[in-house]
Amino acid sequence: MTATQPTLRAPSNRARAGALIRSTPAYIVVALVALVVVFTIISPEGRFLDATNLQAVGRNSAGLVLLAVGLTFVLGAGHIDLSVGATLVLSSVVAGTVAVDIAGPPSASGAFPSAGPAIAVAALAAVVVGGIAGLVNGLLVTKLKVNSFVVTLGTMGVATGTAQVLTNGSNVAGIPPDVQTSFGLNSVAGIPLPLVLAVVVALVAGVVLSQTSAGRHALAIGSSSDGAMRAGVNVQRSTIAVFVISGLMAGIAGFLDITRFGTTAISGHETTMLQALSAVIIGGTSLFGGRASVLGSVLATFIPTMLLAGFVMVGVSSFYQNIAIGAVLIIAVWLDQLRGK
Amino acid sequence: MTDRQPPVLRATGLAKSFGHVQALRHGELTVHAGEVVALVGDNGAGKSTLISCISGTHLPDAGEVRVDDRPMPLGSIKAAMEHGIATVYQGLAMAPDLSVAENLFLSCELRRPGLLGRLGLLDKKAMRERAWELMDSLGITTLQDVTLPVGDLSGGQRQVVAVARAVSRAGRLVIMDEPTAALGARQSQMVIETIRATRDRGLGVVLISHDLPRVLEVADRIVVMRLGRVVADVPARDLKIGQIVALMLGEQNDPREESLPA
Repeated sequence: MTATQPTLRAPSNRARAGALIRSTPAYIVVALVALVVVFTIISPEGRFLDATNLQAVGRNSAGLVLLAVGLTFVLGAGHIDLSVGATLVLSSVVAGTVAVDIAGPPSASGAFPSAGPAIAVAALAAVVVGGIAGLVNGLLVTKLKVNSFVVTLGTMGVATGTAQVLTNGSNVAGIPPDVQTSFGLNSVAGIPLPLVLAVVVALVAGVVLSQTSAGRHALAIGSSSDGAMRAGVNVQRSTIAVFVISGLMAGIAGFLDITRFGTTAISGHETTMLQALSAVIIGGTSLFGGRASVLGSVLATFIPTMLLAGFVMVGVSSFYQNIAIGAVLIIAVWLDQLRGK
Repeated sequence: MTDRQPPVLRATGLAKSFGHVQALRHGELTVHAGEVVALVGDNGAGKSTLISCISGTHLPDAGEVRVDDRPMPLGSIKAAMEHGIATVYQGLAMAPDLSVAENLFLSCELRRPGLLGRLGLLDKKAMRERAWELMDSLGITTLQDVTLPVGDLSGGQRQVVAVARAVSRAGRLVIMDEPTAALGARQSQMVIETIRATRDRGLGVVLISHDLPRVLEVADRIVVMRLGRVVADVPARDLKIGQIVALMLGEQNDPREESLPA
């Protein structure tokens, strides 16, 4: 009261370094390193550490990374998006159908006359479908004021059903294989292109979440929607924005799916949403909003994909992956609570 | 005082019903620059409704609000903010997971200079420094660190942050709804001192409170509401607590007035 010395202090660099070491991403890095070491030791001839295997892990992670990035915004804003897996499927189906239509019938040599434009338009279609799905979720949540769990549970069914109606339930065949050879199976400096794309998108998303007004507003409404509104935040716009981001991510992931398999995988994504959601929560984003970390989500995404690759390599049924992720999810949240936050 | 200038706020004839309930029948409020006006009344007297009409949270059914003698559009929080009115809400309006500095600048974030700023990047360092300056200028010495989450602060500290935010945004008038409710004596004192610092900056202050001793301590003028109407508007120095209570309860002509406990 009487002294004139400054009473507010900025945290020291040492305090910041300490906080970084205690942060969730640091724990995940330790867990990932442990997984690599364990699987390398028990895999035949240490093949887990092979470039081919690690590339496969990276390629399989790309779509999941994108979904997790989108969900980080949604959870950070205090909502949930159960429809990301279904949106991924719908986007891939629309993109696949568009690609087949534009590419035209293949010549005798198997080459498609307009494969290039077909792929470009397909990519755009996937992103647009994802964006629209996100916009619908956002509008339903903000305008009808229906809980996002219920809204996205509903749109999950709608998106899955629409994808099935469009193709009669079968996967889209006849997509030009160029989509795989030109992008999906390519690498730069040994890193699969889809993963490069996902990481670049994640970097941008991480900057948006932690360094821009839009990111602050998303976390503010997740922390207290009423408080944010009274502080002058446009809560509706921010809410719609996080769902659109989530939808766009699912759309891009839907396109990546085609570039990976050369076809759609309608029934291959039953657990995708749960994997992405688990990764986001393991990565330190609060299920109740207000706290979110894109870095944590991205790192945690590699836990399920590494587990799967490791199990396959050491001859354990891939079904155990789901069990392992379920256990990791609960342990991670429990540890987070123990750290007292 | 500042009688020759137009008042910062002049609200006249405000009325608001919710369904069949006429919460506000005739709301009037005038506040000058550098003046603390306390708005008192029993529960349901219409204080909060009157304030909500002025701060833009509610759209009144009738009435007018003028700021510096210019009419203000009603029913818009944004319009009220743009006219220099900031409100400290009961139950606050903070995002507990965000830091003190982030809350102070929520929806008014500072951006980096140049291209990065145009891309939307925040100037976190500048916000921390400005937060610090703001606290210092209001004589707030209770906070050690503006990067702490607001959820980690005590009730009094949170209230002080809420007041500081309102002060930093209000060009003309700060409205405070029960700023000392649920606070201990020492923390209340902290808030009262911040209110004085706010007035000394030349802002108008409207204070809603049930804490009559503290109201008399800080207010320049007392406006009493009852059943949706303003029933008295008196300089604070002319009033004793017993008289205020009598006005609130509608017993101003009651001979027992003098004997009410002070």
